[in-house]
Amino acid sequence: MTTRARSLWLRHATLIVIAIAMLVPFYWVLKTAVTNENIYAYPPSVLPRDPHLFNFVDVWYLIPFPRYLLNSIIVSAIAVAGNVVFNAMAGYALTRTFPGRKVVLALFLSCMLIPFQATIIPAYLITAKMGLLNTYFGLAFPLLSTIVCIFVFKAAFEAVPKSLIDAARIDGLAEWRIIVRVLLPLSKPAIATNVILSFIWSWNNFLWPLLIVRDPMMQTLPLGLARFLSYMEDTTGALYAFAVMVLAPSILVFLMAQKEFIRGLTSGATKG
Amino acid sequence: MIDSKHLRSRWVIVPTSIVIVIGVWLAYVDMHDHGVVEGRVFDASGHPVAGASVVLLERGFVTHQERGRVTSDAEGGFRFNDNRSHSIQLEAEAPGLGRTDRRIVRLWFAAQDTRLAEPLRFSAPK
Repeated sequence: MTTRARSLWLRHATLIVIAIAMLVPFYWVLKTAVTNENIYAYPPSVLPRDPHLFNFVDVWYLIPFPRYLLNSIIVSAIAVAGNVVFNAMAGYALTRTFPGRKVVLALFLSCMLIPFQATIIPAYLITAKMGLLNTYFGLAFPLLSTIVCIFVFKAAFEAVPKSLIDAARIDGLAEWRIIVRVLLPLSKPAIATNVILSFIWSWNNFLWPLLIVRDPMMQTLPLGLARFLSYMEDTTGALYAFAVMVLAPSILVFLMAQKEFIRGLTSGATKG
Repeated sequence: MIDSKHLRSRWVIVPTSIVIVIGVWLAYVDMHDHGVVEGRVFDASGHPVAGASVVLLERGFVTHQERGRVTSDAEGGFRFNDNRSHSIQLEAEAPGLGRTDRRIVRLWFAAQDTRLAEPLRFSAPK
């Protein structure tokens, strides 16, 4: 075996070991969801004993799971749409030259350092003043635009040749049509990155919905998970089945868009 | 005009497949959710028990609660027509025979029509 081939084997073996280590928690959650095994049982069984899917049926019927699912889908759809539209506009603005551009960029970057928990009270007060408490729009409100995703669009738009934008402008396209007709079709990885990140953030969001939702029928899946845990703390299998049902859509969206997601995050990384 | 390339995209195929699977499942559920639960009651020697009182208990959050009671016929058969739950328990009671063990019946959806593969069986008197 040549040195090159040996190095390749070693690299792949290391990657496989790391991949297995990262997938073990997922496997364990899935295994517990299809059995009623105690997760603290010793010695643990690697393979599921008497697997069945009835824990998923229990979750579906014992709490208003379809309602939580619908709420989560609506809120995530609003967040994703808001992210793609607002971030594309903000990203395009930041590729243009205007007075105070550097200040705006510095402001954006510095705002990324402030955790959401620190601004949650003003966010709550603003949302309350707008009358958006306990509404779908209010639930999606803080995630309608995120700074990281603005920079993803900015990097993608900067990678588009300036001559192309100038040509579109000479042809008489308005600025918003340049974004829609020229820049967005050339920035699919950035769109996919925005979709995935905003979907996952919105889907997994717990603290914000916990604060602004008052009606149990407006709760999203993470809140439902907490409620389920408080009701049925002894049913490990059903709890893990719930976790799988909450995780599945975001994993599906990620798997569908992972190629574009990785391309979107790395676009502009090697620029200059 | 929609490009066929777009129709073959995973963003079309995956959601469409999910919608089709859900549609087929809902159609199946709609055809089999009449709440019928059927079965038979046998004594320890395997003979049908007529006149046994069969109780259907429905799962709540913490406990099971009685939701119906029927009497077995001459063939030992019984039938509930109004089960609305996805997780039930059945037990039979007859004078002189005592009670059967509770049979846990897990269903794939609420009110699924089902027939017990194994009858409810009284144990032999001690």
